[in-house]
Amino acid sequence: MEKNTSESKEGILGWAKFKGKGVGYFGFTFQRVSGVVILFYLYLHYTVLSNLLHGQATYNSIVQSITYGPYDLFIVFDILLALVIFYHGANGIRLALNEMGIGLKHNKAFFVIFESISMVLLLLFLYYAWLFVAA
Amino acid sequence: MVICGGVIKMENKTLKKPMTSRGTLGTVSWFFQVISGLFLVFFVGVHLYLAHIDFGHPIVFYDSVINNLKNPWWLLFYIAFVWVVTYHGLNGLKGILYDMGTRPKTRKYIAYILVAVYIVTVIYGTILAIIVSQIVIP
Repeated sequence: MEKNTSESKEGILGWAKFKGKGVGYFGFTFQRVSGVVILFYLYLHYTVLSNLLHGQATYNSIVQSITYGPYDLFIVFDILLALVIFYHGANGIRLALNEMGIGLKHNKAFFVIFESISMVLLLLFLYYAWLFVAA
Repeated sequence: MVICGGVIKMENKTLKKPMTSRGTLGTVSWFFQVISGLFLVFFVGVHLYLAHIDFGHPIVFYDSVINNLKNPWWLLFYIAFVWVVTYHGLNGLKGILYDMGTRPKTRKYIAYILVAVYIVTVIYGTILAIIVSQIVIP
């Protein structure tokens, strides 16, 4: 336990030192970065949902402004958010399988397979979500 | 199979486990992190489908959200979602903060603060969901 802790005493900057550490370390770093992004969004989401208490006009004007303008740039952030959510979920499933002793011999292959499936699902999601927004 | 210090010895071969927050979070906390993560794959999948694909037009989102929460099963689903996702997020944040060379005393304060944030968030989220489910659409 102590060894695992001391490895990261470099702080956040240590996460970015990928050289010679393999795909596992890359997965570890982006699992944390994506986790922090999702946590930030989670509280933002709670804040937006709190506006349901302010009535139909207020809530719908917020949803409309971040979907159709003037703040429709928010859709770019939504797409990036979907990307990190799908990445985080797929890598998380790989780590859960690792905990059960599954995939340890072929971790790199598991990473590539899970992330590839996840990115295909992401594209499908974005396609149908776009149809929904554009309707 | 023998688990020893992040290394699994299996069939006379030593396999290094991938780097995770297990060491800093502790086995119990990490176990619940993994379990809550697996639940979230289901929760997030259902939520993304419901809210962004098959849930009506965003302009009438207000009506859609309230009508959805009037179903007690969906209300229960979203309350459970808030409890699990907030736990997973704050527990993950604890792992990150613990893993930055923080002292044991600082870690204790971090744990207290995050538990307080968790309790406030889930109580607020639960009350918000229940109040919203009671709103009468004009």
